[in-house]
Amino acid sequence: MKALGIDIGSLTTKVVILENSRILSSVITTSGEEAESSAKEAVEKALTQAGLSFDNLYIVSTGVGRKSIAFSQQPKAITTCLARGICYLFPSVRMVIDMGAESSTIVKLNERGRVKDWANHDKCAAGTGIFLQQMARLMQVSMEEMSKLSLQAKSSASITSTCAVFAESEVISHVHREPPTPKEEIVAGIYASVISRIMALCKRVGIEKDVAAAGGVALNRGLIHTLEKEMGFGVLVPDTPQLVAAIGAAILAEENVEKGLK
Amino acid sequence: MTSAEQGNSKIKAIIRACRLIMRMNQALPEARKSEAMYYQMLINYFTRLLNARENGDFVAAHTVFFPAELIYAMDMVPMHAETTTWMTALFTGECSDILAAGAELGLAYEICTPHRGLAGAFALGVLPRPDVMLWSNMVCDNTAKSGELIMEICNCPGFFIDHPFKDSEYERNYLVGEMEDMVHFLEEKSGRKMDWDKLSEIVARMDRQIELVREVNELRKAVPTPFHSQGFLELVSSDYLFPGQPEAIEYLETLKQELADAVKEGKGAVSNERFRLMTLFLPPMHLMAFLEKISQEYGAVSVVEPFFTYWGEGRLDPTKPLESVAKKSYMIPEMRMYGPMDERALNSIVDCAKQYKVDGAIYYADVGCRHTCATIKLFKDTLNNIDVPVLTLDCDVVDPTATSEEEVGEKLEQFFELLEDR
Amino acid sequence: MADNTQRNNVKLHTLDRFREINSTFPKTSQLLEHKRRGKKVFGWLCTYSPEEIMHAADILPIRITGYSQETELDEGNAYLYVNNCSFSRSCLQLGLKGEYGFLDGVVGGSTCDGARRLFDLWRNYIGTPFHHVLTVPRKYTEKAHALYYHEVAQFKKHLEDFLGFEITDEALHKSIELYNESRKLLRELSDFRKLDSPPITGAETMEVLNASFHMPKEIFNQWLKSLLEEISASGNSHTGRARIMLIGSVLTNPEFIKSIEKQGGLVVTDELCTSTRYWGDPVLLEGAKSPLEAISRRYLNNFPCARMFPSDERFNRIIDFALDFKVDGVISQIIRYCVPYCHDLPLLTKRLKAQGIPTLALDVEYGTPGSGQIQTRVQAFLEMLEAKRK
Repeated sequence: MKALGIDIGSLTTKVVILENSRILSSVITTSGEEAESSAKEAVEKALTQAGLSFDNLYIVSTGVGRKSIAFSQQPKAITTCLARGICYLFPSVRMVIDMGAESSTIVKLNERGRVKDWANHDKCAAGTGIFLQQMARLMQVSMEEMSKLSLQAKSSASITSTCAVFAESEVISHVHREPPTPKEEIVAGIYASVISRIMALCKRVGIEKDVAAAGGVALNRGLIHTLEKEMGFGVLVPDTPQLVAAIGAAILAEENVEKGLK
Repeated sequence: MTSAEQGNSKIKAIIRACRLIMRMNQALPEARKSEAMYYQMLINYFTRLLNARENGDFVAAHTVFFPAELIYAMDMVPMHAETTTWMTALFTGECSDILAAGAELGLAYEICTPHRGLAGAFALGVLPRPDVMLWSNMVCDNTAKSGELIMEICNCPGFFIDHPFKDSEYERNYLVGEMEDMVHFLEEKSGRKMDWDKLSEIVARMDRQIELVREVNELRKAVPTPFHSQGFLELVSSDYLFPGQPEAIEYLETLKQELADAVKEGKGAVSNERFRLMTLFLPPMHLMAFLEKISQEYGAVSVVEPFFTYWGEGRLDPTKPLESVAKKSYMIPEMRMYGPMDERALNSIVDCAKQYKVDGAIYYADVGCRHTCATIKLFKDTLNNIDVPVLTLDCDVVDPTATSEEEVGEKLEQFFELLEDR
Repeated sequence: MADNTQRNNVKLHTLDRFREINSTFPKTSQLLEHKRRGKKVFGWLCTYSPEEIMHAADILPIRITGYSQETELDEGNAYLYVNNCSFSRSCLQLGLKGEYGFLDGVVGGSTCDGARRLFDLWRNYIGTPFHHVLTVPRKYTEKAHALYYHEVAQFKKHLEDFLGFEITDEALHKSIELYNESRKLLRELSDFRKLDSPPITGAETMEVLNASFHMPKEIFNQWLKSLLEEISASGNSHTGRARIMLIGSVLTNPEFIKSIEKQGGLVVTDELCTSTRYWGDPVLLEGAKSPLEAISRRYLNNFPCARMFPSDERFNRIIDFALDFKVDGVISQIIRYCVPYCHDLPLLTKRLKAQGIPTLALDVEYGTPGSGQIQTRVQAFLEMLEAKRK
């Protein structure tokens, strides 16, 4: 039996197929309006990549859409999957920061990839991917350009608001100032504000090394650099950070197969 | 509708709701007899309040942890302010009106909903106007400061009992002095005398009442635990509303027997007990039914509540009634939240967790409750040290708009997964 | 709007000394000097902590306060949670970051929930060699006085056990004298502001008070005497659109007061525990059974915090000051989650209104400089008061 993990997020769907703890294939697609069919599509893609068929699969699903697909054998919470996934990739990690599109989640884990504690911001937009996208649009740059700019900044503009709505108006006032605040400084300020929200969450559960980042937003080099500056040490980022939860789901699937579960 | 009628209409709604629950209980063969007794107690309590004016009774409104024994001993009708507000919100589903009224009085959003709602409820006339307002500083600033505004709103006299911070012989004597002064105040305002013999009887019953709760708690240690998750709220109300009252003793004795029988048969409150939980602070009133459902679904039961049902050591002496009432105030479970949060208080939490074989703890972090939230990290660290994970649920004990069943369900599910996965 | 508050006024040089102390908070030069000489420094939190007793034991008592501006309080939030006042979180954060590591002891009272939890967490996570919390009654009855006296005596005993020597009545007398002198001088400073055109602003007064919390009173008294002389000689006069009394929660940031005064709201008096309530009443030795009794009586009876009962004691004192200083309006700044003050506000506003004094209620965070929205609201309030005056 092959193990398949699927992470159905609000923006993207990720699939990972494992065999003997080795990744056979992985896929990242856009989440469709209809969860079941778009999830099926993503799974088919991954199967094709691995040269496998739909039968003899044990599927564990996670993410916001984990319960909306009938073909999953077991839905699991995102926290459980993040812990397993990051432990597989970096066994020394004890804390993973998942920077998602709509929310950030911090998970503390032990050496066996088990969740010890977690915290997230689910009511607030500040500190998320969508907020960053909005800011990029405001600054009229792409996300990649924004990241590059932040790395060039020698200082960062002060963006004091902890609320995303007010932060936006602060950014606007920086842009329209006479003379306008240099773009790279504004970006650095935005990143500092985002990271400070994340640091607040981290401190709530207690920072413990090694620390890793997961989720699509972790690809943002500028943001990670800002995070490392605040942490005071390096943060581990996998090559494909979007896949961490899907990997974890696949590992859980494998564990169930080993336990002989149906 | 006059405000008197309006006040009565809410009380009538509470009584109606309790009657309904009781009848449903009686219609089900498997249902607990003690549960029916509990709701009958509530019906009696609120009926007494409803008819107080007509009967020429003296109504003494009081805050939580105020020694209502003294009110009963003087043959007055107690009105537990916070509980009445909670139950109004819970049974009538209306909460936004009293909270809005509290805000209109000029009370800030940061004041916790039970107390903001309390003032609003009096202002709206949703609670019957009392003859006297009695309050103390147990167990927080909100309680300490709520009395004077209510006196002004209701245009009634009031008395504040100043409960000292630490537990020493000197401070206990101070507390007894406060209670003596309060008795004089009540005698003066009501024209009635304190019946010291009656108080002694009440104290004797209170001693038995506490013993019974301890015995019920002992039975809850069994694996599987016999008492359902939200049942502890009955234990809490039995002290808040009926301290030293015969009906409370009857209820507890019946409950104890039911649980003893269940333990003998190895019958658990849930069919498949998977997680034994410690409940820290109060789950939101409006989520009571939902949390019970989750409990059954996941086999997760609350087996101990250190601040609500786990009494401190000590016995009460009916020959020293006032000293005993003062002593009791140091034994109540919530007292662990007052006084310095030292080794002793933290160790009692650890003891609880071990004795009840707790798998995990849930901290209901009420957004308005400052002094309990300030202990979240401390308790989390203390319990994590003995390998008990803690879930923090941000919520509001009275206001249903603060959180949704979906959010709470999601977090609980994640937590149960964490426990399962260990 | 008209900012004629500083136009013809000379700089008060003595203030620079106080400012220098404040700029090095919390490790002020005076404090470090005290430690260098092998002496102990204790931190105290509320106005119900009897300073004279510490001083009589040759300890320098300094006041525990938070950051001087509004700042990120992640560590404070993690321990005290976001729904405790930003003052307690700010103090705790400083403690957690080691900024109060030089303290040999911390002393507080069971004054409010924020304070008592601050002390609980301090004991569990920071730890200072000496840690004491006094039970402070909420009443003024004779029984309450007896309890507080007992608590003060217990505190003294705990301190004596810790230090290994007795605190004599003679030493207490000397400390009382010194602290009474401070109170007298601070009252004189405050009295200057009774004038129609005070020679010193509310913001400047706050700077003096801030320094008083972090240096030996012996030196402070000398400096303050110089300042009072300089003020008298200066011929300074500050005018404004309205005379304001500032009330509410703990406030230590003079920028906040400046932001009101810049708009023409002369802050002529206040009810702040970090200003007027701090010096409040003197210790009265006459008629007291012992210096210890005199101290405990003074501290409990002092200009009340909103935690005390009955609230009318606080309300009456506020009204007395408001009338005495011919105040046009009251600005109440209450830190979010400062519960005792929040509860008092409806009744207090009513009482002040009955005296013909309007109140502006502001929600603040500890350390706020009073910019943006707050400034707008203050401006509207001052305009209203100005129109009323005419």
